[in-house]
Amino acid sequence: MEKRIKLTPWFLWVLTLAGLIGLGVAAGLTVFWKGLAITNLTDMVPWGLWITLDLSSIAVSAGAFSLCALVYLLGLKRFQPIARTATFIGLIGYSMALFALLMDIGRPDRFWHALVYWNKHSLLWEVTMCVTLYLTVLLLESLPIFARFEWLQKRWPKLAAKMKSVHHYAPYLAVVGLGLSMLHQSSLGAVYGVLKARPLWYRPDVSVLFIISAIAGGMALTVLASMVSSRVTRRANVDDSLLERVSVFIGWILVAYLYFRFWDALAMTYTYEPGRTEGLQLLTSGPFAFNFWISEILLGLVLPIFLLLNRRTRSNPFWRMLALTLVVIGVVVYRWDTNLSGQMVVLSYIPGSPLVAYTSYSPSLIELASTLGVVAYGILAFSLGVRYLNVVDHGRETEELRQPAAELVTAPASD
Amino acid sequence: MAESEKTINRRGFIKLAVAGAAGAAVLRAMRYARASSGEGEAGEHQWAMVIDQGKCTGCGYCTLACRAHNDVSPDISWNQVVPSGEIAGKMTYIARPCMQCQHAPCVDVCPVKASEYRPDGIVMVDYDKCIGCRYCEVACPYGARSFNWESFTGPNPAVPEWGQPEIERRPRGVVEKCSFCYHRIDRGLANGRLPGVDRDATPACVGVCPTGARLFGDLNDPESNVSQILREHNSFRLREDLGTGPRVNFLPPDSEA
Repeated sequence: MEKRIKLTPWFLWVLTLAGLIGLGVAAGLTVFWKGLAITNLTDMVPWGLWITLDLSSIAVSAGAFSLCALVYLLGLKRFQPIARTATFIGLIGYSMALFALLMDIGRPDRFWHALVYWNKHSLLWEVTMCVTLYLTVLLLESLPIFARFEWLQKRWPKLAAKMKSVHHYAPYLAVVGLGLSMLHQSSLGAVYGVLKARPLWYRPDVSVLFIISAIAGGMALTVLASMVSSRVTRRANVDDSLLERVSVFIGWILVAYLYFRFWDALAMTYTYEPGRTEGLQLLTSGPFAFNFWISEILLGLVLPIFLLLNRRTRSNPFWRMLALTLVVIGVVVYRWDTNLSGQMVVLSYIPGSPLVAYTSYSPSLIELASTLGVVAYGILAFSLGVRYLNVVDHGRETEELRQPAAELVTAPASD
Repeated sequence: MAESEKTINRRGFIKLAVAGAAGAAVLRAMRYARASSGEGEAGEHQWAMVIDQGKCTGCGYCTLACRAHNDVSPDISWNQVVPSGEIAGKMTYIARPCMQCQHAPCVDVCPVKASEYRPDGIVMVDYDKCIGCRYCEVACPYGARSFNWESFTGPNPAVPEWGQPEIERRPRGVVEKCSFCYHRIDRGLANGRLPGVDRDATPACVGVCPTGARLFGDLNDPESNVSQILREHNSFRLREDLGTGPRVNFLPPDSEA
């Protein structure tokens, strides 16, 4: 007798995501087959949607290092279950970035070159090295999570126990992860910030803004994903008071982010720097004006600050989830705007000719489809994690935590 | 559990993290300090080009010759001729090869060292190393770099029936640019020719120019044509303000070299 497949919501969810992934894989293979000519990228705008996907998925993975630092370095051990969720999201996010990069580079067969042929002057080299090393750290940090897979525990109990024991090294991994993340999260901004040829980017502030926004966005996605999971499945259970505490952190980080953005933008208005002024105008009154004022500043910063720092709105799940969603969107839109606005202003090298030329870019269908596929992969991976690895689980006290070694390391502040 | 871990407390970790971050910052500062010193200036020769705007008519022969000798696709120009406005009723042009900068942004940013200085100052792209990330394209202030968005197959319309290109065609997915026809220079020197004087040993664009608007030579040789003309005439370089130190010099239209 054949078992009939029941159309459960879970099955439909996986099916939908698998469909999108299939679409993305088809688009990605088309890119490998036909080359980048089928994208809307040009020599004038060589970096487009995929770069935004890279930057964004790495940025919203920053919850992993920041929450691990809170738990293992500042000793706030009650946030440990959230750090576990963040670590898993980080692992997914960095792998998403790798998929996007693989499509984006002209010679994916040479992806390993940066690890072998070092150009230590290059920010992109540094980012590649840090990302590779940090991905290793994330993998190690995730081993105890994968050890919770029931099938694995039954089939290879010894292996599962070994994987779980990696948890004892969590504090060391947190230190390494913090260092690597502080380096590459800001360096992703510096990739733009060091380019003399692009006056809008050529300022030190980009790297600062990138790391602050990444910490806010990464924590926001972690809390948001936990809240959503706990509402759609019984396999996720959360301690809302913990999530609320983290939301307060996010609110204050957003305040710092807004402060730096204010000075960054204000400083750019004070002198006329050819190309930079035009670029700022693109953001404040040109094609990016909606993105800049509404998506980044108003909805991405000001409103969430209010919603997250006001106790009444924060304790209401709807308003809190809305605020966190807006934060994540704001961080992604900031990446998109930064990447494109700098390329749209082209300074002429011809003496005596008009200084600035403008270019344009909108992604092709292939770029959109492949991006959608990568995002669907991320969501599916997280869903599987919630269902089979209990990555969102604040209730059950984890075995690791009861062990004395971990207790010692994460001893509460003397009070 | 493991005894060794008892010796490590929270404070220790924070100290370690701060020390690590400080160390990384110092290393990075050193890296930048080193990056800002000049490179590619050690060689016996220092090649440079001089383009006389007064003589350039914008005919585009240089671009065509470049395509033919270097097998450049019709979609790409290693050497672009751009109108630069009218002066005294006469149209002027800027012919733009790669500037072969002394402090080339492209060399600094390449993550895989696919762009490097030769001792004679030429900035070379290693097409076997390039991963096609296009960071150099974004970084070049002169738009001198082009990406191979698709593979260039079939005959090159710029190559005449009686000749053949001198270097290999670049594959799809790498960035390419002008190389001052390094292969002609190297071959010429090996055969005892003098680049800039003997046409065989000189970049193709220089030799082909019908008005003689382009000169090429060795800045280390005070008697070379480029050294002499740069001593005697006003000249300018593109985007001098950026401090890239281009090796391509222009004579303004009124200088009548």
